[in-house]
Amino acid sequence: MSLDAAVPRLVERSWAGALSLALRLVFVLMLLAIVAQAAIVVHARPQDLITGAHGMADIIRRAVPPDFVKIDIVWWPALETIDLAIFGTVGGVIMALPLAILAAVNVTPSRYLYYGARGVIGFARAVPDLVWALLFVTAVGLGPFPGALALSVHSIGMLGRLFAETIEHMDMAPIDALTLTGARRVQVFTHGIIPSILPSLLGIALYRFDENIRSSLVLGFVGAGGIGFELLSAMSLFQYQLVSLLLIVTFVMVIAAERFSALLRARLG
Amino acid sequence: MLRVRGLTMRYPDGKLALADFDLTIAAGELVVALGGNGSGKTTLLRCISRTLPPTAGEIWLNDANLAALSGERLRQARLPLAMIWQHASLVRRRSVLSNVASGALGRYGGLWTALGGLPAVERRAAYDHLGAVGLAALAGQGAGTLSGGQAQRVAIARALAQRPQVLLADEPVASLDPEAADDIMRLVRHLATHGRLAVLCVLHQVELAYAYADRVVGIRDGRIAFDRPRADLPRDAVRQLYLSEAA
Repeated sequence: MSLDAAVPRLVERSWAGALSLALRLVFVLMLLAIVAQAAIVVHARPQDLITGAHGMADIIRRAVPPDFVKIDIVWWPALETIDLAIFGTVGGVIMALPLAILAAVNVTPSRYLYYGARGVIGFARAVPDLVWALLFVTAVGLGPFPGALALSVHSIGMLGRLFAETIEHMDMAPIDALTLTGARRVQVFTHGIIPSILPSLLGIALYRFDENIRSSLVLGFVGAGGIGFELLSAMSLFQYQLVSLLLIVTFVMVIAAERFSALLRARLG
Repeated sequence: MLRVRGLTMRYPDGKLALADFDLTIAAGELVVALGGNGSGKTTLLRCISRTLPPTAGEIWLNDANLAALSGERLRQARLPLAMIWQHASLVRRRSVLSNVASGALGRYGGLWTALGGLPAVERRAAYDHLGAVGLAALAGQGAGTLSGGQAQRVAIARALAQRPQVLLADEPVASLDPEAADDIMRLVRHLATHGRLAVLCVLHQVELAYAYADRVVGIRDGRIAFDRPRADLPRDAVRQLYLSEAA
């Protein structure tokens, strides 16, 4: 190509480059504008952090040392928190699995059931677990049971979606092969689908258990049992040394659950 | 015995994949279907197995016309028909033995098999089927650890667990090296002769057809180009089958 012919192309490219740069600049400005409006809407006042530092330091001073003498009264709420997560996860898995089968486009027996299951899963997920807990506290009263129900129902939404996606992405060739041997639908499910996806499902369920431990801490704030309820009570009574003890136990529980879940998921491969 | 009469398949886009196809395969007979890409070989197998509903025609397996059946009646009537594919399509996370025994599930309807169990008698039979394909030693191994040739043998053993009268094989050696391909074809030949199976096998390897088939059916544009005994199969006729594709 001659130099004369190349020059107009280079000029065109430089125009295209300038336009691309301008578009990127606009994009960055738009992002900044979005962050700025968020700061305005949430009344962000960084100066309050400085003026509030004294108050925070005072709370920390009153929380140290943690009141280890009261460790005896922490065990039960701690166990309750773990059991909330266990019940919530197991309940969620039991209900999410059949829904996920109906909500997976490649194995659902009917289009209507597919949309119905998707609707249930979407609704269970859209309503936060805290709101479910408030509803169940109203329905069955205070205590850990409404918390366990709340975690179960919210887990249906989270697990149902992930289970359905796992089923949709599985290799269908072995399933089709099994179907063609004359196996019935339920046999194809138990002998083909479940063995193929079981490790993935268990991994997802363990991850959910880890999430549910965290969620169950907050549920106590609305009277749904667990260590969160003790934490709220201690804060209301200004027992900051007990608060720090509860936070330490919480920290240990969360980290232990996280490690346990990660370890099992790694073993599942 | 398998009898196909006037089998026609027209896809929703109007493409005619099979046109008025007639074919009969007797027990103990190995018929190889040859043809270029898109000639209709795989469509033929999919229609016979009823994974694709044919537009017209009859598919007789024993006394049942599979083309006229659906639902539970089709499932029951299709039980004597087994199929193997290019890829073995095993459940990789189950043992070799369980994969083979699962071929018998269609004969059982109880709670035990619905919950994932396998009848003890079928587990023992599966071991025998694995012996028949030369892999009894791998019974306890995970199916995901097998080589391509081993996996295909296990797929054949699973087909045997079905107690079939007809075996459809869709390019069963396409992804295997020549030695493994030869082994598989020798096994299929053995099953046809000694197990009295009617076998319809789609192949791309012409030499394997010459080595193992009783009859060779040439397919071109969804129609039978020729249907001859292997001994009476001119090489020119086979060459024409693929030349027409190139043209």
